[in-house]
Amino acid sequence: MSLQYNLENYYKPETMKQAVDLLLKFGKTAKVIAGGTDILPKRQCGAQFDTITHLIDISNLGLNYIKESKGNLCIGASTNINSLVTASAFHSNPYIGLIEAAEAHSTNTIRNQATVGGNLCNASPCADLALPLLALSACVVVAGPKGNHTIQLDTFFKGPNCTALLPGEILLEIIIPNHQETTGASFIKLRHHQTEVDMAVVNVATQLLLDGNNCLRAMIALGSVGPTSFLAKKAAGILSRQTLNKKLIEQAAMLAADESAPIDDNRATAGYRKEMAAVLVKNSLEKSWERSRK
Amino acid sequence: MKKKNIWMNVNGEWHDLTVTLQDRLIDTLRDQIGLTGTKEGCGEGECGACTINLNGKAVLACLMLSVQADGAQVTTIEGLQNGTDLHPLQTAFLTESAVQCGYCTPGMIMAGHALIKQNPDPDKTTVKTCLANNLCRCTGYEQPVKAVLKAAGEMRRKIK
Repeated sequence: MSLQYNLENYYKPETMKQAVDLLLKFGKTAKVIAGGTDILPKRQCGAQFDTITHLIDISNLGLNYIKESKGNLCIGASTNINSLVTASAFHSNPYIGLIEAAEAHSTNTIRNQATVGGNLCNASPCADLALPLLALSACVVVAGPKGNHTIQLDTFFKGPNCTALLPGEILLEIIIPNHQETTGASFIKLRHHQTEVDMAVVNVATQLLLDGNNCLRAMIALGSVGPTSFLAKKAAGILSRQTLNKKLIEQAAMLAADESAPIDDNRATAGYRKEMAAVLVKNSLEKSWERSRK
Repeated sequence: MKKKNIWMNVNGEWHDLTVTLQDRLIDTLRDQIGLTGTKEGCGEGECGACTINLNGKAVLACLMLSVQADGAQVTTIEGLQNGTDLHPLQTAFLTESAVQCGYCTPGMIMAGHALIKQNPDPDKTTVKTCLANNLCRCTGYEQPVKAVLKAAGEMRRKIK
């Protein structure tokens, strides 16, 4: 069974300039792919990709790496998701949430192909990797006709399947700033069916940097409960510079749920999502707190 | 319909192929090369029946366009046996009764194959995680997990 595509061409550029030129030339009829695992199922759903006639495969641009640079950890956009799990760089306290999210993303087989950049650029409101990366204050480097520039991940997601990338721009790299070893992190994902392939009903990543029980920095990122993945800043705000206790964590969890704006869909109702958002944030904060003490 | 020439090594043999841009890798393997051991189940990445090895890693042939596999090394279920000798994984699936209707079996074996190559001595949890993407509607999951563990042991003994 072949699917009915209207593809006119497939390009695998060897340089970033070629890729940007192709993207500029074909505009909205072009789509950047790396792993490409999302274009076929989406195609079956119709609509969204009906106008796409040119695929630009960026897997030959040398963007498959995880490296340390100037104290930051850098992930190339076309690094496959399983590489995060095996990279020794992420096997320390602050990055546990990122590994947990990577392991919760789809299945082992899909993760061999699907890429970190793809998960971000799809801008799905339930993207798993977006959350720990938001909690880690990551930013993304973007290449475009006017050269490279950096965007804070916090401002990268503009709506469902919509990012801050302008025409002709391609995601190059994700940069994670250095975090102290005493930072506790966690990622929790609730799925309708607890099978590997199921998408999140609610997903949450949190981070806590503590000095004793005094919270120096708190981050709470939520997914699947709004048009984009987002940071619950008010909720995190009531934890900062406070002495942590269970009651305060419960208050922050309720506030985070208030900041969410879920919808009803075939996976869950908005009301259920909101309630579960509070539960997941509470559980995740408690986990991060416990981990920060190790 | 737009076509493109690609070059692909399948089970040790290079193939010059002309594929359409909408052909998925599973279409090319089954319909053009005639390797029908790779099965299509859901066609959207959920069942794992079409699992093959691409450059040594387990991937789904239904979620990949053939043009993406230009220049790749592909191994399908047909590439495992040596002449008439079955691969230890194939033997283990038979002796452990891990096959009933058999539709999911090629995918399970190819997922196990990539795992054993990467980790010759996997524990039960690792095998379970590895096969978590492979749905089976009749045999169940205990026997395939046992079969992969048994084959891994057999392959380690052979290397010694």
